[in-house]
Amino acid sequence: MISRIFESLYIKVFVSIVVGRADTTVLIELYSKGKIKNSFEEVFATTDIDENMREFILLYISESPFYYISFLDDSQNQGAIPTCNKNKIDFYQDMSGCSYRCFKKRWSYFTDHDYIYSIERKFQHIGVDYIFSPFLLLANFFKDKIADNLAMFLLIEEKSVSLSVFNNSELLYSEHLLLNTQNREELMYEDVGTEMDESLEEDGIDLEELDIIEELDSLEDFGDIEDLDTGDDFEDFEESHEIEEDFHTQDETPSNEVKSDELNDDYERFSLIQKSINHFYKDDKYESEFIENIYVADGIGISSDFKKYLEEEMFLSVYIRQIDLTRELASLARMEMGL
Amino acid sequence: MKYSYIKPRKKSIFSAELKLVLTFFSITIFMLLGTYTFLLYKDYKFIEDRADIVQQRYDLNISLTQMKEEIEFIEKQNLLSQKIYTQNSVLKESMRNLFDLVPQRITLSEALLLDNGLILYGITPNKDVYNFMLQAPLRSIFHKTYSSFYPDKNGWLRFVSTNYIEEREDEN
Repeated sequence: MISRIFESLYIKVFVSIVVGRADTTVLIELYSKGKIKNSFEEVFATTDIDENMREFILLYISESPFYYISFLDDSQNQGAIPTCNKNKIDFYQDMSGCSYRCFKKRWSYFTDHDYIYSIERKFQHIGVDYIFSPFLLLANFFKDKIADNLAMFLLIEEKSVSLSVFNNSELLYSEHLLLNTQNREELMYEDVGTEMDESLEEDGIDLEELDIIEELDSLEDFGDIEDLDTGDDFEDFEESHEIEEDFHTQDETPSNEVKSDELNDDYERFSLIQKSINHFYKDDKYESEFIENIYVADGIGISSDFKKYLEEEMFLSVYIRQIDLTRELASLARMEMGL
Repeated sequence: MKYSYIKPRKKSIFSAELKLVLTFFSITIFMLLGTYTFLLYKDYKFIEDRADIVQQRYDLNISLTQMKEEIEFIEKQNLLSQKIYTQNSVLKESMRNLFDLVPQRITLSEALLLDNGLILYGITPNKDVYNFMLQAPLRSIFHKTYSSFYPDKNGWLRFVSTNYIEEREDEN
């Protein structure tokens, strides 16, 4: 009771840390009386905790004893499974050595146990209070769409993609996809043919000759693709206040090198998503439903090509919403605390 | 509902330095309060003891007064008892002297001692015996002596002798 009174007198400092491919974003939010009084964001060119980052964080957490440091899970061995039943969990995933949490008694998300220890060791000087799964972040971010839609939901981070398929709040399938930056060049060479085919497609080449489309043969079981609803049902979504389709447009003129990297990453993401969806359709473990829509939480600013890949190669209706990962992480921390 | 894989650390407004300072001040304040409480207790105890002693002295004074009164009363009783004893001794001596006056031939049936007199009831064989052997000594003691006779069944005489001493004028 006394601690509650003291807690209400102090401001709360929420520190959100998201590790990217080569940098780390730290967001500080000063929260008091139900409002965010101030926020500070800094990007550090390191994936570890260096002296600058530590000083930056200590500068703000020294303002109040009630500070909470949140970290976005970026482990390789993580995911989500469509059950909370302990007897059924092993059917989807071997949980030995994993920590997991159940979400609203509908589905679970898990991560590597050793990873949590490694994070706690990594943050031993400043401490860490919360480690959140990207699947939880995705579910919270798209909670309005997950509730009454059958769709695929993506959380795009720099070095990973969290993919999940929900049908009216029921998780059907999920996978945490990691971008393999070392093999990017190899992928590029493999995809040269596909890129050329795409350019030829515009000249009248039959799409069925594309390699990628061949991988989608299993989709034939779901009927004629041309009959798919292409957007009439989503007018409400377009009318909402969300920031959608705010991807890079052609007005932006990044350097060729940067653009090339983005294209490579986006295509790799697309390939991983495509493979994962194939796995979803083919694996009997999962309750397959034909996916027409895809909602993308864009945490890095993906290119318009990524959307084009999904729309043209997989015939999906794509809706992109920008997400600030660190702010969402802070809101998760507040949600955890019941604020 | 818990979403995080780990639990947040306990948050406290008390840092290690603040805890040290608070501990030091707490001990100091505790000692000061303890000393103050001890002094308050001793002060209270002293006042209480003083009040007890005053009360005891007051009670002793009362008791002393009562004892003095009792001693005075006892002394009075003692004097009275001595006076009564003396009077009784005198009376006893008078009675013995009286009964020594009565000759063997006269029998007394009743004697009444008055403040200033003596009334005797008895039986005498005849008036002469009475007049010579009892009335003569009674006349020598009392100032006024009256006698009356009436015969008994066996021929003897019953008598009533009334004797008074006149009080001296100077005694009044």
